[in-house]
Amino acid sequence: MWNSLILDPMVNSLLWIYNVLANNFGLAIIVFTILVRLITYPLTSQQMKSTQKMQELQKSKKWQEMQKKYKDNREQMAQEQMKLYKEMGVSPFGSCLPTLIQFPIIIGLYQAIIRALAVTPIQLLDLSNHVYPFINAAALIPLRNYFLWMDLSLPEKDHGLAIAGFGLPILAILVVVSTFLQSKLMTPPSTTGDQGAQMSKAMNLYMPLFMGYLAYSFPSGLALYFVTSNLAGVLQYAIMGKLDWRNLIPRKPA
Amino acid sequence: MHPMKPKHLLFLLTFAILATLLSGCAGGGATAASSWPGLTVDEENAYLAYNTYVYAIQLSNGSLKWRYPSEANRTVSFYADPALSPDGQLIVGGYNHVLYGLDPKTGSMKWDFLQANNRYIASPLVVEQGIFAPNSDDTLYALDLSGNLRWKFNAKGESWARPVTGQACDCIYLSSMDHHLYALDPADGSVIWQSEDLGGAMVGMPALSETGSLYIGTFDSEVLALNSQNGEILWRVPTEDWVWSGPTLAGDRLFVGDLAGNFYALNAGNGETIWQLTPGQLDGPIVGSPLVIDDSIYFGSESGTLYAVDTSGEIQWTQTTGGKLYTSPKQAGDLILVAPIQSEELLIAFDRDGAKKWAFVPEPKK
Repeated sequence: MWNSLILDPMVNSLLWIYNVLANNFGLAIIVFTILVRLITYPLTSQQMKSTQKMQELQKSKKWQEMQKKYKDNREQMAQEQMKLYKEMGVSPFGSCLPTLIQFPIIIGLYQAIIRALAVTPIQLLDLSNHVYPFINAAALIPLRNYFLWMDLSLPEKDHGLAIAGFGLPILAILVVVSTFLQSKLMTPPSTTGDQGAQMSKAMNLYMPLFMGYLAYSFPSGLALYFVTSNLAGVLQYAIMGKLDWRNLIPRKPA
Repeated sequence: MHPMKPKHLLFLLTFAILATLLSGCAGGGATAASSWPGLTVDEENAYLAYNTYVYAIQLSNGSLKWRYPSEANRTVSFYADPALSPDGQLIVGGYNHVLYGLDPKTGSMKWDFLQANNRYIASPLVVEQGIFAPNSDDTLYALDLSGNLRWKFNAKGESWARPVTGQACDCIYLSSMDHHLYALDPADGSVIWQSEDLGGAMVGMPALSETGSLYIGTFDSEVLALNSQNGEILWRVPTEDWVWSGPTLAGDRLFVGDLAGNFYALNAGNGETIWQLTPGQLDGPIVGSPLVIDDSIYFGSESGTLYAVDTSGEIQWTQTTGGKLYTSPKQAGDLILVAPIQSEELLIAFDRDGAKKWAFVPEPKK
């Protein structure tokens, strides 16, 4: 099920794009990521709308009053919050769910990159069972796994760019910075101190570090996906006219 | 107390679980097998390279003689066929980019060669002139028998197959995943000839005839014959699917399987099919090269069946191994040795009639 619905289409799309782009796997990952971004646009759009609704709700008088009224009774406040969410038609997970849906895509893409690069006999044998007939695999395999300074099949911790004798985790740094930028720009700082705001704050803090860890430890192809996806997200946000650099400046909760 | 801290812990825990899940998907640890066993035999022992060890197994009863290294090291794994040298060494390449010279009597290391940059998937060719070891860094390393570098040759792709040499010319023939076959001068690695693009990657060892023909299968689903003097294509015939291992030449016949599960007997002179066993008669993809002894042909399938076929294409007997058979079967005196994966038994010895004589099961991990 996972193979036929997620993995095989991903692997074959990557191979097809690789073929079209003059056998450049790095470019294939970049183009593929942009395509995934376009396909998941409805999710992103829904996430943005939910975030905006939540922001409006949190600025409302009703919300503020409720916060003050139940500040000493957290249980009651949670119940009242849920009531308000229902009343206003806001889902508290509306902005969180699309982010979580990204994880199966990340896992699928990671597996697709590993499967397509097929650097060991078992992987290559496995790939031979998953290539669609219309892909001219004989002409493409083995894929060229070098892009710029990267070996896309190896993690940066084993194959980082050495400058003056020091291995620099450039990709991992790019992933941390771009994930931080994206999450900050797409999640406007809350002026309230409620649970949702705290969750967002924690996400914005740990997500870039987590992504950086993944980028450092897993094949560089995945890190290339992260950077491209983040930058594409920021660009998408900018095109929609939602980009506000002031979001990067921390504001004190009301 | 502010509830922020437990929330941070929750997030950290979530991320840790996700990281673990992703790591699990990788399957790339040294202990997760990424290939199938390499196998070589001499008169007394079988040498099996699989995962974290090279095992020396006594042919008389299948018992372990030694293993290298004595204790598993997660960073070291072996899958290429070990090679015995004329001066009594066992040469084996690791996935840790290191080529080792071992003493086949004791399993102790005599030397190591550290200059390669990637895995040794191919077995080295070891002859009087020295060691010719292809590495996945696209380079063929030529060493003397003490492990000192003599020269290196860079192809445009990896080589996963042992080079071959023969009487027809003083050459080393190297098949590459860059779609080309190369004939190299063993003295300095200069290119004598390079074939045209053969249409697909090759991961099998070419078969070389005494009359000067080279035979090879490709991922372009073809078997080709080339003139070993100049690389000119003599004939090419299609197969149903990729040809993984090289064909085996016996007299004027070539025997080869494909990944669709066909097994072909071809006329080596013109490539005509003499007979063919189809996926309806066989039970899975054929990855390893067949073994030909007298009038019998032995080969394994991905489903783990060992087939014995006579020269007219009649199946004489079959034996199931309980694993997947990718490694080419090897002859050891009167025994046929097979090395399945995903089986408790790492090495199984059958006699020529298909009766199981012994099996080697490594001691369980502590």
